[in-house]
Amino acid sequence: MKVSELAQKTGLAAINEYKDREIERVYISDMVSDLIASARTNSVVVTLQTHKSLIAAANLAGAAMIVIVNGRKPSEDVVALANRTGIGLFSYDLDSWAFAKKLVNLGFE
Amino acid sequence: MIASVAVRGERILENVEGGAMGPCNHEWSICNVRHGYFVEEGCFECGARLSFFSAEPVPPIDKYREGRHYWAYLGSFQTVKFDLKCRACAGIVDLNDVNGLMLSECTDRDCQVGALVHQQGPDSLVYVALCPNTSHPTGKCVSSEGIEALNQYFRAKLAPVGRKVTIVPCKLCNSIDKCRGTSIVDVGLTDIQ
Repeated sequence: MKVSELAQKTGLAAINEYKDREIERVYISDMVSDLIASARTNSVVVTLQTHKSLIAAANLAGAAMIVIVNGRKPSEDVVALANRTGIGLFSYDLDSWAFAKKLVNLGFE
Repeated sequence: MIASVAVRGERILENVEGGAMGPCNHEWSICNVRHGYFVEEGCFECGARLSFFSAEPVPPIDKYREGRHYWAYLGSFQTVKFDLKCRACAGIVDLNDVNGLMLSECTDRDCQVGALVHQQGPDSLVYVALCPNTSHPTGKCVSSEGIEALNQYFRAKLAPVGRKVTIVPCKLCNSIDKCRGTSIVDVGLTDIQ
């Protein structure tokens, strides 16, 4: 499933310009440094972090998409860095569990 | 010179488990993941900085004297350390001398890292591997084997998704303590303990 398709099916609006890559797996963590060792390429990362280090780590992990939960919004410098990496940045009003249930319903395991 | 950061897989690596491994097109994967704290200390006499990784549940904050230095705690952040293991030859590169990675935003073209950042295309970013003693009083920094393996690992991982990164040792920075960048650490996650 492409980033755009996942966004459309879960009702997300993009915060930035992104590369419409294939999503293959999910990683949920609020620990940014953990992404480097644990997240895999073509992941959707679900987190409540909004710091620039989130993009720096997600880039090394090869993530395709980041969903920031609890309605939090990243600052302009974070969005600018996400634009450089092509990672899709999205904000979701509810918590990680609510978004995780949507992903499960879409067939992610 | 930055060009000395080799990124191909044919070089013989030494200082790995089992000694020299011989030529191998390495297929690196992350191993030996350790969770803990990146602790930063400063000498209030000379301004030198050092950092270390602590796997303690609570990071140490003691002041102490070591030779001519008086080290005081400056801060700590949650982080993750790891090593790299080759699936092809089973060699392991010990990355114990890497205390963290920092996305460089250096704009100083007189700095080797800043010059490299300036040369990058839109799809490429430069990360600095931070060694324990960023003042480099002995000239020692992250090992060349470690830098080479990190470049091979991340380039192989990111090539299929069309992204590039270059990892450089912090000794290439004019002044890592004044350098602009974003360190990949977690701040404040355990402050409520």
